[in-house]
Amino acid sequence: MNKFQGHISEINTRGNFSVITVTVNNKIKLKSIVIDTPESATYISSDRIVNVVFKETEVILSTDKLPAISLLNRIPGTISEIEAGELLSRVVLCTDIGPVISVISTLAVYELDLTVGCDIMAMIKLNEIILSK
Amino acid sequence: MIDVHVFKKLFAPDGTMELDVKLVIDRHSFVTLFGASGAGKTTLLKILAGIVQPDKGQISVNDSKWYDSQRKFSLPPQKRKVGFVFQDYALFPNMTVFQNLEYASFNKKRSKSKIDELIDLMELGGLKDKKPGILSGGQKQRVALARALVESPDILLLDEPLSALDYSMRLKLQEYLLKVHKNYQLTTVLVSHDPGEIIKLSDHIYELKEGKIIRQGKPSEIFGMGQTSAKFSFTGEILHISQEDVLYIVTILIGNDVVKIVADQCEVDQWQPGDKVLVASKAFNPIIRKL
Repeated sequence: MNKFQGHISEINTRGNFSVITVTVNNKIKLKSIVIDTPESATYISSDRIVNVVFKETEVILSTDKLPAISLLNRIPGTISEIEAGELLSRVVLCTDIGPVISVISTLAVYELDLTVGCDIMAMIKLNEIILSK
Repeated sequence: MIDVHVFKKLFAPDGTMELDVKLVIDRHSFVTLFGASGAGKTTLLKILAGIVQPDKGQISVNDSKWYDSQRKFSLPPQKRKVGFVFQDYALFPNMTVFQNLEYASFNKKRSKSKIDELIDLMELGGLKDKKPGILSGGQKQRVALARALVESPDILLLDEPLSALDYSMRLKLQEYLLKVHKNYQLTTVLVSHDPGEIIKLSDHIYELKEGKIIRQGKPSEIFGMGQTSAKFSFTGEILHISQEDVLYIVTILIGNDVVKIVADQCEVDQWQPGDKVLVASKAFNPIIRKL
């Protein structure tokens, strides 16, 4: 589980959905869609400190620095460690907000030619980020 | 509404402890007292039932006084309209199930129909002529629960009633507890340590530590379920953790279902089988298929 503390910098509510932007370390903005509003959940308020949480298996990696893809949650970094299993590999990235762990297929590690020291972009879908107090 | 403000000096293993509790319990609500052993939970139940006297304080129930130390008044236990269920069932071994229920009633004639109703509700029909010795733990506790209800109490006090039972039996008994709580419009006060049980049953929790209330709130607030945006969340118990490739697979019992969830190595170091856990995902991930 990747977990980072940040503050809520933007709240965009429509009906029962809200897209919450959390700024981590004053550098990286991560957006999460939740079925909550400032009225239904007290933790949704501007500048409130919250944790953003996402599973390692939901972190997508790209060697392209500006990939044309719908994922807006992007964390640039470099690979500091690769543990390659037969099917899956655990890739640890060094980023501005701390270590981010991604579990991807070992085949993808070979196809993208990922090695320690590579510059990499980690991306997470809007609906895969959980916010917690 | 139960309005309690009581003090009592208690003798704990490591010296004396002051029970100092102020709480208000809404009528028809299901409230749980939660906290480590020796925090004063059982004493508080016994004070409500009138079988232990506080040193000072007041208890009023729906505007009638049950206890007032200033006026030196204490309503006798038999007039308090309270049902009490203990962890160890406390059934009379020489009496049948029916006789155990009958013994708890003050008016044998009037309560015959009530006993029959409870035997039906608690599904004890086939056991009513049996003695407690041959019953299972779950059956004994159903008898104890029925017995606590014979005199139609307004308040049901439950002192860890399910802790001696295995998991599947606890789940069944929880259903019975909910059923009687609703059917008889009871105000129920439970002492429990099991987060899953507390979340399932209670409207409100008071957490006690060393005789004082240190936290109170809804179960979701106390157990952290309301503190994440994850809408797909459950409590469960870790059964097994195994390493698979670069990940770990954690097998968790949620209710009667066993689920498997992958976890990273830095997480599993903190867990072991038997741990109670919150399992959460976002509402966006699960698929729904009509059966």
